Amino acid sequence: MTELYEKILSEKKIAYAVFSSQYFVEEHSRYFVKLMERPVTRGVTVLWDLFPELVGSEDQVEGVLQGKQRRFTLEKISKFTEQVKLRYYNLILLPFKKAGVNQILCIMNDTTFETSLEQRIQQQQHEIKLLESTLTSAIPPLSSGLVGDSPKIEIVRKFITKIADIKSTMILLEGETGTGKNLVARMIHNQSALAKSPFIEVNCASIPATLIESEIFGYERGAFTNATSSKHGLLEEADGGTFFLDEISELPVALQSKFLSFLENKTFRRLGSTLERTVSVRIIAATNHNLLQAVERGEFRQDLFFRLNVVSLRLPSLRELGTDIISIADHFIHIYAFDFKKKTLRLSEAAQQKLLSYHWPGNVRELRNVIERAVIFADGEEIEPDHIVLVEEPKIEALSPERPLLPDAATSLYEMEKEIIQRALKQAKGNQTRAARALGLTLDTLRYRIKKYRIHL
Amino acid sequence: MVNAVKGKSLQKALEISKKICMLGSFGVGKSSLVRRFVYDLFDERYLTTIGVQISHRSLLKRMSASSRNPVNLKLILWDLAHIDTMNDVIKTYFRGSHGAVVVYDITRPESFDRTAEFLLPFREINPSSPVIFAVNKCDLLSPNHANYGLFLEKTKLFNGGSCLFTSARTGERVEEAFHQLATLILEADGR
Repeated sequence: MTELYEKILSEKKIAYAVFSSQYFVEEHSRYFVKLMERPVTRGVTVLWDLFPELVGSEDQVEGVLQGKQRRFTLEKISKFTEQVKLRYYNLILLPFKKAGVNQILCIMNDTTFETSLEQRIQQQQHEIKLLESTLTSAIPPLSSGLVGDSPKIEIVRKFITKIADIKSTMILLEGETGTGKNLVARMIHNQSALAKSPFIEVNCASIPATLIESEIFGYERGAFTNATSSKHGLLEEADGGTFFLDEISELPVALQSKFLSFLENKTFRRLGSTLERTVSVRIIAATNHNLLQAVERGEFRQDLFFRLNVVSLRLPSLRELGTDIISIADHFIHIYAFDFKKKTLRLSEAAQQKLLSYHWPGNVRELRNVIERAVIFADGEEIEPDHIVLVEEPKIEALSPERPLLPDAATSLYEMEKEIIQRALKQAKGNQTRAARALGLTLDTLRYRIKKYRIHL
Repeated sequence: MVNAVKGKSLQKALEISKKICMLGSFGVGKSSLVRRFVYDLFDERYLTTIGVQISHRSLLKRMSASSRNPVNLKLILWDLAHIDTMNDVIKTYFRGSHGAVVVYDITRPESFDRTAEFLLPFREINPSSPVIFAVNKCDLLSPNHANYGLFLEKTKLFNGGSCLFTSARTGERVEEAFHQLATLILEADGR
């Protein structure tokens, strides 16, 4: 091969070598040695040593040597170079005759550049698929969302099964914070014929009273300042599916009558509109307050209460579930161990006792957080009591004022409320759940007010 | 001196080379198992394989329980990319393989779903080549997790060799998996 041809071939990333009938190297290009990254000696180096990937293909190689096979190709082969980088190449073996003697012409085409580009594209696609797949596997399906086999959990399961397909019924879910009202609402939706329809959730405590009407019912252009275009509300978003009102007790009294009217007639009007609209939705409401007491205090309309309370379920608190606490804890251990790529973890006997003897004011939400922390800090195969950090509820001192309760002339109600929240947070050492409890607020309401008053935590 | 005479198994003076295909869905850890076995390394980063990546490692093995002298068994590992659809190029990769390791991800039961699509063609091309199943990433799940039983049951459907629960990250049962397959290959060779 002339110098010129060799130069052209190496420019095209093509290397060649000729092998004798005994598979020894007879001749080769300089670029071939470069690609091989090892000494290649004529009459000594053997085809099989250079290309171990030909193991298993001896018959085909023999066929090429004898001229019985026109070519033998291996595509997209990769190997690590000395610099531990991947080199990609195609390998082609062709029959070749020199002075009447059968030989093999071996052509190597270095495709590292092109294949690396392909690799990057595939990498991204696979990473996305892998992530999706991992998420699907890690998150248990909602149908199996309730863990435990205590009689109280069984009651909840049976309730969900019975009620799932009765679309017209309104459902009221009651229970302490963190008992899984949202989960149960989603399970009812997912097990029903509406499963593929929207599930729209509104937390009445997290939306300012001034906005909640427009959020739920929508508005027409010009209905109020800044209403530059019409917008449909969340009820319309939920059309055909489930509309879940969490913390229904926080729904402003003024709006309760409009909502009752919607429940009665299935129709409503957007703000600023005279047009009656109809949607078909299943209503699920939830509360962590005693609605009947709220009715007695005049904070909740009695007629709305009766309208909502067609079918109700009180979700058990975690402390009522007995040894199911351990099953639920195991469930979270599994999820967090998976998330944090931790090896097998289980609760030691002592850790189980610690969990069982606690009163769990924050219910499952609190248990989940406790387990998350425990999984992070556990070293061996067992979670020990030391890994379980429970919030010992120090009695938050009554907010007996260090200053008079009644504001002086210079203190506005706004400032008073802000200061009371700040003090509650300080006494609860920044723990919002405890501060909310001390103030008699829901966690979401407290969060809303923290945001409203721009309180820095 | 190297004996360059060709042979079914490229037998040199006491050296035998055997080709092993690594099969399985994307992201199950085929390359990680090979890397752990060949270089005793593990890399957390996921790097998609394109085509086939070749590496090798030699083991000293006895041809059979009764044989005296060990042979130097060179395992040529063909780490195959995820197989989307079976085609002629992949069949070329399969050809002449003396054994296969089918790899799964224990955290993703669906990594089993398409086994038949690549394992049946593999067996059609290499009917007498042994196959073992490596259910990888077992460091991520507790031993009492339901997925262990699930994979044990599912792999039985393919009537292969053992089903081993491996971890390329910790190295757990990686050596055992390849040694077991090497033994099966030598046994198949002796028949």
